[in-house]
Amino acid sequence: MANEFQERKTGSAYAFWNKLTLRDALYLGFCAVFIVITRAALRLHLSVPGHAMFFTIFFLVLGRACVPGTGAASLVGFVAGLLSMLLGMGKGGPLAVLKFVLPGLVVDAGGIVCPQFSASYAACIGVGAIASATRFITFFLVDWLIGMEQEVILQHVIIASAMNTLFGALGAALIPSIVRRLKIHQLIP
Amino acid sequence: MARLKTYKESLLRQPTGHAYQFRATDSPIHRLGAGWKVAIGCLLSVAAFAAREPWVLAGLLLLNAFYYFLARLKLADFWRDTRFFAVQMIIIVSLYLLRFGVADGLWPGARTALQILLFFVPGVVLLRTTQTREMAQGLRRVLSPRMSFVVFSSLRFVPFFARELREITMAQRLRGAPLNFPRCIYPWNWKDVFHCLAIPLIVRALKTAHDAALSAEARGFGRQTSCESRVPGRLLPQRQENSSSNAEKSPF
Repeated sequence: MANEFQERKTGSAYAFWNKLTLRDALYLGFCAVFIVITRAALRLHLSVPGHAMFFTIFFLVLGRACVPGTGAASLVGFVAGLLSMLLGMGKGGPLAVLKFVLPGLVVDAGGIVCPQFSASYAACIGVGAIASATRFITFFLVDWLIGMEQEVILQHVIIASAMNTLFGALGAALIPSIVRRLKIHQLIP
Repeated sequence: MARLKTYKESLLRQPTGHAYQFRATDSPIHRLGAGWKVAIGCLLSVAAFAAREPWVLAGLLLLNAFYYFLARLKLADFWRDTRFFAVQMIIIVSLYLLRFGVADGLWPGARTALQILLFFVPGVVLLRTTQTREMAQGLRRVLSPRMSFVVFSSLRFVPFFARELREITMAQRLRGAPLNFPRCIYPWNWKDVFHCLAIPLIVRALKTAHDAALSAEARGFGRQTSCESRVPGRLLPQRQENSSSNAEKSPF
């Protein structure tokens, strides 16, 4: 099946979208579906803050690892955001899309800096931690627009995003072993 | 018949199971278009950012409460939707109290926490009162056909993959994999869970993506660059050429 997936060089996101085959696009959409399903399954049973980032980062990085190209993780994030909005799973309504797209953009940026990052544990953990820390940006933006004191903003966003970062790094740490197994079985290029 | 009607009414009276889930009832907000609800939500959220004075905040709080309860949502729904913010409010007020003390920190802390709540409430009303179908119709106008296809195909496959996940879990448990619920909830067991579930699920996703793409392409929906192949008269001669060239090559 690896041969069926079109290999492409890392280019701009626009070029990626134009060259993306329907099969790859659907596969990325399915990664987004897995994010939504795992979030839905866990929110019924768990109340650990930030745990949903584990699966979000896992499937974002997996999408980027299986479909190499700048924009793959962002596409997964965008579709996951739209799906969670359509299924009524985000408290921010349309803002939920931003919550998924920002980590996707960071994963894509990680792919530009280090195209083979999905094979390395250290790179995956680093990218996963930075990507999940983007929750910091959304918290910061909301707090700043509301006019909170800077010191309190900093403390609040650190408390709110620390667990996200931890779970995101853990989720990304599982990627190299899974990608290796998929490559051994020639399921991905 | 009367019992059925009573049962239906009792179902409508019940608060929905999860936070932010669509509540099936009839209200002026439900009848409003999704675009209008997004516009009202944006206005109310911007107003929440701009509000600083107590009387403005009080007015905005009343307006949001009116908007929420006009949608015939119950207090139980409100609690489900906003209980997450209760934790946030406690954290924010505590931080302000620690930083500025009770006298100087209580009002700014409470004001900020209330502003955050008021910022998110309109989005909650949008989710509570808008069906997936309505939102999808709105999205179709904004997204490109190809992106729409990906998004709505993915939406269509949500129950399919949920079922697949259940079946894979069942199959792995029958093979002796430790996938019982008490083990699964602890993060230190997630690596084992992932190796039992993720690989079969990914393989299934790759195969389903391949089949779905093939099916869509067979119906004339394919890559943007291959639009020419969708012209009906174009496909047939190419096939004939291919079949004739194959016939020439074929020893039979």
